[in-house]
Amino acid sequence: MLFVSNRELVVPGKLLADEEYQAGEGTFLENGKIFSAVVGLAEVKDKSVGVISLQGRYIPRQGDKVIGIVIDTHPFGWIVDLNSPYTGNLMVSDLVGRKVDVFKEDLGKFLKIGDAVIAEVRKVDERWRVQLTASERGLGKIRGGRLVEISPAKVPRVIGRRGSMLKVLEETTGCKLEVGLNGRILVRGKDPKKINSVVEAILLIEREAHLSGLTDRIKAKLEKER
Amino acid sequence: MTGKPERLIVDGRRLDGRLPDELRPLRIKAGILKRADGSAYIELGKNKILAAVYGPKEMHPRHLQQADVAVLRCRYNMAPFSVEERKRPGPDRRSMEISKVIREALEPVLFLHLYPRAVIDVFIEILQADAGTRTAGITAASVALADAGIPMRDLVAGISAGKVDGVVVLDLMKEEDQWGEADMPIAVMPRRKQITLLQMDGNFTPEEFRQALDLAFKGIEKIYEAQKEALKEKYLPIEGER
Repeated sequence: MLFVSNRELVVPGKLLADEEYQAGEGTFLENGKIFSAVVGLAEVKDKSVGVISLQGRYIPRQGDKVIGIVIDTHPFGWIVDLNSPYTGNLMVSDLVGRKVDVFKEDLGKFLKIGDAVIAEVRKVDERWRVQLTASERGLGKIRGGRLVEISPAKVPRVIGRRGSMLKVLEETTGCKLEVGLNGRILVRGKDPKKINSVVEAILLIEREAHLSGLTDRIKAKLEKER
Repeated sequence: MTGKPERLIVDGRRLDGRLPDELRPLRIKAGILKRADGSAYIELGKNKILAAVYGPKEMHPRHLQQADVAVLRCRYNMAPFSVEERKRPGPDRRSMEISKVIREALEPVLFLHLYPRAVIDVFIEILQADAGTRTAGITAASVALADAGIPMRDLVAGISAGKVDGVVVLDLMKEEDQWGEADMPIAVMPRRKQITLLQMDGNFTPEEFRQALDLAFKGIEKIYEAQKEALKEKYLPIEGER
């Protein structure tokens, strides 16, 4: 039995379904019944039910692309802030992609405190220590652009269904976006005006993330500004 | 401060005209502070209380971290202007005790094991007090926790029941708290009707205690509905503007 409809707004403790369904994200099981654990929109897919949270901090997960800011150094790498309760650890070799003799080379030439990096979460262990890697193509130190910070719970809306929102943002303005799942978004482009309108659009998405028809409204807005 | 009124209940009505089983006017609003991760504002009669939640975030100092669960910290604080005689600002014996019982009332609904080594901070600021601030504070804090997106089993709703002029009443106001015979704050996880806080000041007979408990549970139901409404309301009004 299902007790909610798809995309219904639910609050913690709301009964969603009983045992014939699979408990998804944002839910918990109690005596075989599935309840919502957060404020969010119920998502029913075939035989599973989950809740998309509308708020909340970023929790690192293996394989996530994130944008971090270096907050400290240690002899073999850097501590990176991930806009999360847990900081990331980036080793030199995972940034440069080769063996580095830390006694011969100065790590300061790769990254300094305050620098931003695009990285991938390589591993999260049982103690929530987060290993990052940034040696692959497209990852590494950020050398330019505008960084926007939004609530991590709203990042999926900036990406859109199969990247539809991202496509709208990029194609209507000619800017390049790098979306970190931890709520940081890098906007790169030639025209500062265009960058501004993308940033404004992102903030609008954040404010209205729970409303439908957002992609079309953003598209109309950006095309008007063009 | 005025002296004790001759009678607190006249013709079955209380000083503010309520029946013994009536709540004071209740209003809850979620997400009113921009800087906090989650927040709520509650008005229960003349009580005005603000609750803010930060986290989960990294715990500092490090030695207070728990390796396997998140730590919940609560601070109940009364503003100097919240009571008739200016209250000396800062923590005192009373507010430290209340902070502790509030923490213990909220802990059971949180999935703290999801965020090991982290901390969740809850701040409850009493802007104006008129009896029943700890329970109203719990009510607001649980809305603020949900607003912060922290996974919870249920909300927690609180209310007080008591006895004035020999009558068991719900939701005591200041005069009744001051001159009444008993005051019993209670906090409940409404879905499974589990009590997370129960204190008592004064005397009840076992029969009166049961009556008070029944009254409180009825009040809790109404508060629970208001809490859920407040959380939903935050996301609905924008839709109306379109």
